[in-house]
Amino acid sequence: MNYAIAFKVLGYILALEGAFMLPSLVLSGVIHDGAFSSFLGTIAILEILAVIMVRVVQEKQKISPKDGLLIVSLAWILVSIFGAIPLYITKSVPTYIDGLFEIISGFTTTGATAIPNIEIVPKSVVLWRSVTHWVGGMGILVFALSLLPKLGVGGFQMFKAESPGPVAGKIEPKMSQTAKRLYAIYMFITVILFLLLCLGGMTPFDSIVHTLGTVGTGGFSSKAISVGAYSGYYIPVVMSIFMVICGTNFSMHYLIYKGKFKDVLKDEEFRAYYIIVILAIVFISINLFKSGYGKLSKTVVDSAFQVTSIMSTSGFSNTNFDLWPSFSKFILLILFFTGSCAGSTAGGIKIIRIVVVFKMIKREIIKVVHPKAIVPIRINGKVVNDEVILGISSFIYVYLIIFVISTGIVATSGVDLISAVSSVATMLSNVGPGFSAVGPTSTFAFYAGGYKLLFCALMLLGRLEFFTLLALITPRRISEN
Amino acid sequence: MKVLIIGCGKLGFRLASTLIDEKCDITVIDNDEKVIEDVNNSLDVLSITANGLDFKVLKEIEIGSYDLVLATTTNDEANVLISSVAKKLGCRKSIARVRNSEYYNQVNFITDELGIDYIINPDKATANSIAKYLLKKYLLMSDDFADGKVRLVDFNIQSDDKFVGKKLYELSGFENLLITVILRQGKTIIPNGETVLKENDVILISGASSDIEDFDKKHSHIKKAKSVKKVMILGGGKLGLNLGYILSKEKIETTIIERDEERCLELKEKLPNCVIINGDGTNFSLLNEEMIDSFDAFVAATGIDETNLLMALSVKQGGVYKSVAKISRPNYNRVLDRIEIDGAFNAAFITANEILKFVRGRGSLRVNLMLDGEAEFTELLLQENVKVLNTPIKDLNLPNGILISALVRDGKVEIPNGDTVLEESDRIIVFCRHDQLDVLKEYFYKSEKRGGILSELRHRF
Repeated sequence: MNYAIAFKVLGYILALEGAFMLPSLVLSGVIHDGAFSSFLGTIAILEILAVIMVRVVQEKQKISPKDGLLIVSLAWILVSIFGAIPLYITKSVPTYIDGLFEIISGFTTTGATAIPNIEIVPKSVVLWRSVTHWVGGMGILVFALSLLPKLGVGGFQMFKAESPGPVAGKIEPKMSQTAKRLYAIYMFITVILFLLLCLGGMTPFDSIVHTLGTVGTGGFSSKAISVGAYSGYYIPVVMSIFMVICGTNFSMHYLIYKGKFKDVLKDEEFRAYYIIVILAIVFISINLFKSGYGKLSKTVVDSAFQVTSIMSTSGFSNTNFDLWPSFSKFILLILFFTGSCAGSTAGGIKIIRIVVVFKMIKREIIKVVHPKAIVPIRINGKVVNDEVILGISSFIYVYLIIFVISTGIVATSGVDLISAVSSVATMLSNVGPGFSAVGPTSTFAFYAGGYKLLFCALMLLGRLEFFTLLALITPRRISEN
Repeated sequence: MKVLIIGCGKLGFRLASTLIDEKCDITVIDNDEKVIEDVNNSLDVLSITANGLDFKVLKEIEIGSYDLVLATTTNDEANVLISSVAKKLGCRKSIARVRNSEYYNQVNFITDELGIDYIINPDKATANSIAKYLLKKYLLMSDDFADGKVRLVDFNIQSDDKFVGKKLYELSGFENLLITVILRQGKTIIPNGETVLKENDVILISGASSDIEDFDKKHSHIKKAKSVKKVMILGGGKLGLNLGYILSKEKIETTIIERDEERCLELKEKLPNCVIINGDGTNFSLLNEEMIDSFDAFVAATGIDETNLLMALSVKQGGVYKSVAKISRPNYNRVLDRIEIDGAFNAAFITANEILKFVRGRGSLRVNLMLDGEAEFTELLLQENVKVLNTPIKDLNLPNGILISALVRDGKVEIPNGDTVLEESDRIIVFCRHDQLDVLKEYFYKSEKRGGILSELRHRF
């Protein structure tokens, strides 16, 4: 393991985190909300550390796949530890662990909060929380990569470790160009959404917060009752559309930018994703309408908003869906697990993995009838190799094992079963709210510190798709045998 | 520059890694998933698992936007077809590897009729370099620059006490020569006057050809230089054939030892003036039977690196004047300097040199990669308005990885020092470590400018 180079890259990451705090510092300086010194202090600490880390190490070596994993895991842990400082100093959260929970929830684009009333927290802190969504959505290392082309192939190792989905692909020959392109698309979507929300009558500050929460598919809001604070259809509809867009694989956006609409429409994951979104909306609308939810238009808009919000793993709510009939809640629960597309800003198991799993089931059925049949699994006409398939299966096993064990642990806190199940599911998939005790109108504040730390771990595991982090904490004698 | 490499074997891989240093955007296509995985783990390129002959793939990646296609699959016909089609589909330049000498003889027809810009034949290029070395009078492995006016030699100081333990400025006989680089156990060191030489260092010396010849005469541990009249080639593969052809044209007595009987017949047909022996050339009783001691030079050109190196070494120890080996992998770079053979020729590197010259275009006269691929000697023609002109070299603040080792002005060779001022249309020979390639291009080539904080950040890392 090459610690020297890891140290250096981490130094750059800390410097970047400091840079991302600057907007909050400026905002705080302008509106005097009392958080100025906390941000100034944190930025100073970050930059001093960064300068030391970058300067001390002079070595120029290549990054191996192993180093990539180490750097990504440590980077996420470090930015969380430092990112929580302003929240704690400004007393926005009662304990440092709450701050950590809040900021990891931000970086992993979960959007679950431990702050009961967000509207009394300094605005600059609210902004910082949302900025973490934006950075964490596309990936803080991906951002760093676009600025550091000299990392070369090591950059790709980090990209693979950070980007969600079974296979990470570049869209340009050089890693740094790929990272730049991705962020350019991301930036474009961000700006468009911001303008649209401003037009819809949101204040600029609320627009920024909701934009960052939407494109990062995070879900932090500046309002205690989330998007429920906005009446009318315009805002939920615009946000729904953008949540779906940001749950789509960004390489599809790149194809669209290149004018290859046909390839996009032919993509299996893309099609499965939109079919699931539409079916879920239809089923929930029918179920809600039959149970007397209200006007048809409101039913459709609310169900569309909730479906896209959960499926893209944002976790905004414009209504208390915890009160919906069981069947609708069941569909939402399924969407907790599926998540959106690989290579998007969303979390969850990812549609592509589910598509492959169904194809595997189909293959097994064929094999029962024709034991010697050769049935390759194809995605978009290309054979998926066995290693990728094995990777997908082990991903799902690990997901289930961690899910079951964690649910057991959370149940010891005394919450009811559906709360425990949905708490863990919402953490692993980086959604945000769950059902019952952690429903859209409640927060995670009531859990004791230890449980919050468990949730922190679950969020990071879910965001980095398990193996990146697991490889770091696995004892050497297991990982090297 | 956007480059597409189809077929990522030894040559493809070497070209890809060399062109990355050149800041090209590279896409690699290979139909072997294992190869693609290796590529992903070691090179910053876009990789595609596909058959290069599937032209749908070429269209998908928008071949029209590429500047160069390099077809280096194992199949000559496929390479020619791919390059030709790529060119038709709008790629600006295309290069194909053709190894079969029968096709290669029709190279003009292929390039003209099929629109391929350049055909590379690594075996032929390697054979040329080997022949060039064998035909030279002196022993030290050398490279010629500026039409032979400037020469660069590698010299292993072994345990010679005229060198070992001395600081460079203490050495005598180096008034007109420059020790450009020291190779120490596979590492490249750019020395200054205070650097102390150690046992078994290899020093690279540059200077005017006549001065280098004097040096060679004095130090090559051989009483008198002799010209090579009889050459034995071990292995009658493509390289052996090419080399045999060149040598027999030069009226040099050539013996080729080849194991496969049918191949021997084929060789004899193509090389009527060479002696072809059918047998196992790694067997010394056969070599002695053929009186290996009476030969002036030995070339180990089988398909196995280990065999080549050890055979060349054994024969050299046996007293043959010049003994060289062909290698195809860079695995043994660390020991190459230490074993006493006169040279090791790597076809992929020799080909990469050609391609680099092609890629860099105007102003670049010659590129010579060092054996580890991490550094190069390059010959440049300084054009108007490049950054190095009209300033004494010491004020240019060139980084440690770049050294101007010789300068040819008005046909005269000079060894530059800190006060030398470069002028337009000087031909210079520069040593450059590849991590400083940016600087080389910035200072010595005409290029587009970059600036600002981002580029500053880039240079820092």
